[in-house]
Amino acid sequence: MSDPREPIIRFDHASFGFPGLIALSDISLTIYEGEFVGVIGPNGSGKTTLCRAVLGLLAPVQGHLHIFDCACDKLRCYHRAKIGYLPQKGVVDRNFPVTVLETVMMGRYGALGLFKRPGRTDHAIALEALAQVGMEAHKDDALGLLSGGQQQRVFIARALAQHPKVLILDEPTTGLDITTQHSVIELVQHLHHQLKLTVLLITHDINMIRSKVDRLVLLKTRLFAAAPPAEVLKPEILHQVYGKELVITENDLVIVEDYHHHH
Amino acid sequence: MLDLFAYDFMQRSLLAAAMVGGLCSVIGVFVVLRGLAFVGAGTSHAAFAGVALGYLMGWPPLLLAIVFGLATVWITGWVEEKGRMKLDVSIGILYTTTMALAILFIGLMKTYNAEVYGYLFGSVLSVTPEELRIIGALSVLVLGFILVFSKELYFIAFDQEMAEASGVPARQIFFLLLTLVALTVVVSLKTVGAILVFAMILIPASTAYQMTHSLRTLTLYSAIIGISTSVAGVLISAVWDVPSGPAIVLLATAMFFISLFFSPKRVTRAAAPHAH
Repeated sequence: MSDPREPIIRFDHASFGFPGLIALSDISLTIYEGEFVGVIGPNGSGKTTLCRAVLGLLAPVQGHLHIFDCACDKLRCYHRAKIGYLPQKGVVDRNFPVTVLETVMMGRYGALGLFKRPGRTDHAIALEALAQVGMEAHKDDALGLLSGGQQQRVFIARALAQHPKVLILDEPTTGLDITTQHSVIELVQHLHHQLKLTVLLITHDINMIRSKVDRLVLLKTRLFAAAPPAEVLKPEILHQVYGKELVITENDLVIVEDYHHHH
Repeated sequence: MLDLFAYDFMQRSLLAAAMVGGLCSVIGVFVVLRGLAFVGAGTSHAAFAGVALGYLMGWPPLLLAIVFGLATVWITGWVEEKGRMKLDVSIGILYTTTMALAILFIGLMKTYNAEVYGYLFGSVLSVTPEELRIIGALSVLVLGFILVFSKELYFIAFDQEMAEASGVPARQIFFLLLTLVALTVVVSLKTVGAILVFAMILIPASTAYQMTHSLRTLTLYSAIIGISTSVAGVLISAVWDVPSGPAIVLLATAMFFISLFFSPKRVTRAAAPHAH
C-alpha cells in the first residue's frame, strides 16, 4: 500500500510472547501517521498484546518493531510519553481516592520526567484535556463517584494530557450502556480529526466502528487482514477467524447466526 | 503532667514517637493504595529476626534489621514481578520463615535478653540519644525520597502498568517503595516494636482514606493522624504507666472506627446518584 503519510508504527515479522507460548506471531504491519485503525479479533487473539508491544511493555522475541524513529527491540524507550493509553476497564481501581484533575495530571508525569514537579503549564494542559472530553466541570470531583462513561472520558483526558501522537484504546466501550458507548466512540473520532491523532482502537464491536475507522486489523495469533473495513468484512475472511456462525446481513451488519433459528 | 516534659527521656520519646508516627503514616498511604499492607507485617518480622541475630552474634542489631528487611521486600517484589505466585503467599512464607529464624536466634542465646524483647514490643520511653539520631537520620532520608518521587509513587500506586506505559520508570519506583517500607519498619522497631509497626503503617492511612477523595489531602490527614496518635499514645503511656506501643496502636484504632462512622465517603456513596 503506497501512502504519502509517514509510517509511525512498523512491525517487521515481529513475534511476541514467551518461548513456547507465542501470543502473536510473524506480524508485518505498518500504521501511518493520522490513521484511525480498529483492531478486532476473538478473545485471546493477541489484541492486547499488540497494544502492549506498541506501548513498549513487551519487546518482540523475533523480528522488529519500529515506533517513530526508534527500533524498540529494547524496552524503556523514550517514545512512551508520546503514546496515550486507555487500558481495559477494570484494570484500574475505580474507588482510588483521587480527584478528576489529579488523575489527568498523571498524564503529565511521563513527559515531565523524574525530579520535576507539575507547574502552571501542566495544570493548564490538564484543564484543556478535560475540556476536550467535556469534563472540565467535574475537575474537583472524586473519580470513584463518576459514572462509567464519565470515567472513560477522564481516562481519555489523562491520555490527551500527554500530548500524544498515538492514542491506544483497549476496549473503551466495554461495560457501558449503548448510548454511552456511541458517545465515547464519537468522542474518539472527534479527537482523531481535531488533534490529528493516530488512533488504535481495540474492540469487539465491529458494527460500531466499521464506519469510523480507516482500516481494520484482524488478528488471531497472526495477522489475517489489515485493510479498509469493506475489504476485511467479507465472509471468507471473517470465517477463518470467527468460524462459520458469523454472517453478514443484507444491510452489512456483522452478526452471529442464530443457531436455534437456523435449525 | 506538664513536669513530665522537663525530663530528657520524655522529650526524646515524644520526638521519636512524632517522627515514627509521621513516617509510618506517610509511607502507609502508598502501602495501602498499592495493596502492600501485608508486606509491612512480613518486613517487620524479618527485621526482628535481624535484630535477634545481631544480639546473638554481637553485631549491630539495626544494621542486620535493615539487611533482613531489605532482603524480604526485594524477594517479595521480585516474586510479584515474575508473577510466580501471589504476593500474599510469598510474603506469608517469608513472614513465618523469618519469625522462625528469630525464635531460633533467641533460643540460641544462653541468657534472657530484655533488649531483644524491647524490639518486639517497642519501648519508646527508653529511646537513647544515639537511637534518636538514627531515627532522625533515617526519617529524613525516607521522607526526602518520598518528597522527591511523590508523583511517581502516587502514579504506580494508582496503576503501575499505566505509569510504565506513560514513560515513568515504574519498576524502579516500585522497588524504591519497597525499600522505603523496609527502612521505615527498621526505624520504628525500637518505638512501637516489630508486632505493632504494621498497625502504624496501616491504620493512619486507612483512617485518612475514609475522609477524603484527594491524594494530597489523604497524605496530609494520614500524617496528622499518625503524629498525633503517636504523641498522645506516649503521653498516655507515661501518665498511666501502660506500655507505649499498645497505647499508640489502640488510640489509632479508635480513631479508625470513629472515622468509619463519620466518613464523608459513606454519606456520599449512599447518596450518590447513578448518573451518566
